[in-house]
Amino acid sequence: MPEIEFNNIVKRFGRVTVLEDLNLQVDDGEFLVLLGPSGCGKTTLLNMLAGLQEVTGGSIVIGGRDVTDLDPKDRGLAMVFQSYALYPTKTVRGNLKFGLSVQKLDRAEIERRVAWAANLLQIDKLLDRKPAQLSGGQRQRVAIGRALVKNVDVFLFDEPLSNLDAKLRTEMRLEIKQLHQELEKTIVFVTHDQVEAMTMASRIAVMNGGVIQQIATPDEIYERPANLFVAQFIGSPAMNTLKATVERADGSVSAVHAPTGARIDLSAYSFSAAPKDGDAVIVGLRPEHFSIGCNGHADAGAYFSLPVRYTEKTGSDVTAFLDSGDGGLIAVRFDHKHHHVPKMGEMVEIHFPKDRFDIFDAASEKRI
Amino acid sequence: MAIRWSWASPRIALIPALTVTAVAFLGAICWTIWISFTRSRRFPDYAINLAEWTRQYERLFRDNAWETALKNVLILAIGSALAIVFGFILAAMIEREKRGEGFFRTLFLYPLAVSFIVTGIVWRWMFNPDLGIQNFLRGLGWESANFNWLADPQTAMYGIILASIWHGLGFYMALMLAGLKSINSEIWSAARLDGVSFWRLYIEIIIPMLKFTFLTCAILLSLGVVKTYDIVLAMTGGGPGTSTWTPAYFVINSYAARGNIGYASSAAVMMLLMTAALFLPLVLATAWQARRREAMAQ
Amino acid sequence: MTMTAQTASLATPVSKSLRRKRIRGSSIAVLVFLAMWAAFVSIPLYVVIVTSFKTMDQVALGQVFALPTEWTFEPWRKAWSEVCAGMTCEGVSHGFWVSMKILFPSLLISIGISSVTGYALALWKIRWAGTFLFILFLCAFVPFQIIMIPLVVLISSLGIFGTIWAVAIVHSVLAMPLLTLIFRNFYKDVPEELINAAIMDCGSFWRIFFEIILPMSANIMIVVLILMITTVWNDYLIGLVFGGVGTQPMTVILANTVITSFGEVQYNVDMAAALLTAIPPLIVYFAVGKFFVQGITAGAIKG
Repeated sequence: MPEIEFNNIVKRFGRVTVLEDLNLQVDDGEFLVLLGPSGCGKTTLLNMLAGLQEVTGGSIVIGGRDVTDLDPKDRGLAMVFQSYALYPTKTVRGNLKFGLSVQKLDRAEIERRVAWAANLLQIDKLLDRKPAQLSGGQRQRVAIGRALVKNVDVFLFDEPLSNLDAKLRTEMRLEIKQLHQELEKTIVFVTHDQVEAMTMASRIAVMNGGVIQQIATPDEIYERPANLFVAQFIGSPAMNTLKATVERADGSVSAVHAPTGARIDLSAYSFSAAPKDGDAVIVGLRPEHFSIGCNGHADAGAYFSLPVRYTEKTGSDVTAFLDSGDGGLIAVRFDHKHHHVPKMGEMVEIHFPKDRFDIFDAASEKRI
Repeated sequence: MAIRWSWASPRIALIPALTVTAVAFLGAICWTIWISFTRSRRFPDYAINLAEWTRQYERLFRDNAWETALKNVLILAIGSALAIVFGFILAAMIEREKRGEGFFRTLFLYPLAVSFIVTGIVWRWMFNPDLGIQNFLRGLGWESANFNWLADPQTAMYGIILASIWHGLGFYMALMLAGLKSINSEIWSAARLDGVSFWRLYIEIIIPMLKFTFLTCAILLSLGVVKTYDIVLAMTGGGPGTSTWTPAYFVINSYAARGNIGYASSAAVMMLLMTAALFLPLVLATAWQARRREAMAQ
Repeated sequence: MTMTAQTASLATPVSKSLRRKRIRGSSIAVLVFLAMWAAFVSIPLYVVIVTSFKTMDQVALGQVFALPTEWTFEPWRKAWSEVCAGMTCEGVSHGFWVSMKILFPSLLISIGISSVTGYALALWKIRWAGTFLFILFLCAFVPFQIIMIPLVVLISSLGIFGTIWAVAIVHSVLAMPLLTLIFRNFYKDVPEELINAAIMDCGSFWRIFFEIILPMSANIMIVVLILMITTVWNDYLIGLVFGGVGTQPMTVILANTVITSFGEVQYNVDMAAALLTAIPPLIVYFAVGKFFVQGITAGAIKG
């Protein structure tokens, strides 16, 4: 049974419609990440789940209970905020206890839970400090602790890592994932950072413009993006996209990229709906799947020989941006240990394996 | 030797302000303190008789009117503090109930644009026993209604307090509203998720977070109270008798009506001391706040 | 493209009825309480306005809240041009023009000195700037009474006592510390690089002020203007002490009219005079209320 259900959710602010007829189910014990650019409605969705914003239409069900009209405190969930929202005038202990004191638990139980959470998050030594005396990472732990002590089934995270520096972010990412594995609670996590989503989620819901574009496991999202938006939002550098025309001849399918004249062999691609001859398609090529060099590969589905515009070196990797002939660029990422870094203007030969293409309809931008 | 204008110009530009500060503030304060030790009457007399240099102060402390003034300033401070309390309550309500925020804010604040003289005259009219509120309430059937506060030395100060609250309420509300708005909105969300009751949220979280705003309001209010003059003049003219005199009223009266500069100066010096006593906490609090902010930034 | 395609496919009619916004009981209680305070705040204004339009016969009936049975502008006319303040019977109009004449020099002098001082202290490296600012901070809170008598002596020795200039100068002196602090706090947020670039380009203290800093100061100028206009217009004590016969501002004339009037009291005329005096700052308030709030909070929160 799904733990959380959004049924036909509509959200309007005055005349502006943010979400229209949205449906989403989160399974029990799942780590669902709502991923999307800012303004895509993901935080609104989370706030409506928490009860901080009211829905304009539709219903929300948590654990089989319709909570649409319930107060936030009665929904049986806990939330970790972007700015942590620690009560600045209370100590860490006071912050952890404050939410519990409302629930009329006996004192020993409160102490037990505080001690358990403090121990789990290694903040035992900070219990008597005020939030102002804590570092960013420590505040983050306290904020998580404040959610943990409530002993609820659903945890909500609203971009909790965005205020941390890169190193701490990586650490906290791992910790939150471990916490999830240990506690086996349902987590809904909002972020705009694809790395966070890919590393932590059991499923990702990619949102854009108030619409869920795709819900799938991280692998599925990466390997089989449902549409062009998802394909370009996930992956760094972003997927290359080439406009091409389908050619069908003697049972084989290929696409021709006019500016380079390259013929792209699509025979290994499993179409969900086979295109007709002359259809306009968009071919997606992930920069990391190219192989570079003059030796032709047996399984190559596309071959280009293009001049280098410029290169970017990031530690072990090199990304070369090649001139695709129509003013666009094709990004190619490779390991510079295995190939020399091409100079500007140098002609480079690249191959793309025929089983790694992503093909989208040029008009609907959906995967075909 | 050539003048470096980039060095000299800013310093030249500061001359007027420096002169004003040195002459009109520091110099004038010293002058008043000096005069308060002399026997000056209508005109300044700069000789200090060392045998009886505290003469003016001794007289001042024996003066019943001065005692009344001190008592009144205390009553006024305590009474006007209600403006802070209600200002906070109103700000909290406006902040909570977003509907009509602009309307209520504009309405509560307009008395501040009205001068104390006009405020006093208006309220004097409201308190008029024959034609004001009292008469209106008696007309409604409340025969024992007594709003002739200003005529009775026992209640005249309360009339002034009411008018002061009317005048200042919006100011404290605006400061409190600014304070409330500076609180991170996620704190409110977190409290809602925790299910914290309204009272506990305000008493345990919000009011402690606003303590610096409260302190600022309290000090500004006290400084205003010490200076209270116009509104007393307009409402009661100090009367009945000397029952609504304030220190500021006392100074002006000693200077203008009694024509005694020395005496007026000694009362003014007492006012300065009161202000300093109120002011010290503000300076300390500002320093403390700055230090805390630094600690937060680390 | 993706978005349009997706929304188009989802444009199926939403069958669920849209829920109405709930109004809670606590909301009603809050609004009732606010409305009660609103009444407390607005009743005096209402009473004064209706009284000023009543005939003296109706005022004598003692129904403060009743609307005028017969609207009359007579009290307003009398208040403006006939009513007696002490010996002279010129109405409050004379005071109105005096207040205007006091206002402009006060604004010019105080804002002129304070803005330049604030600019010099905020943006030019002067070692003792901190100390001077602290002294100004203290001065801003000094009660007027403590410096009043020496200022009388000083102004008399300049030979301008009892003139409009005396009142305007005292206003400027008194406002200088606070305004300087406000300007300084505004200018200290000007990026240092901007000033450094300007110093490299031309280097002149005055040219940077007039060509770069002053044009950036529109917002703070409005705030300060409003603060000063209301302060100067609403002042009573400075006008009383430093103004002479014929140079007393409107508030003083009003107080003399209402408080020390002889003979039969004309309440309706008194109220009209009070309203006439209150109208200019109220116009400022209702016209630019947002800046007014900024002005008073800028006056309150410094440092």
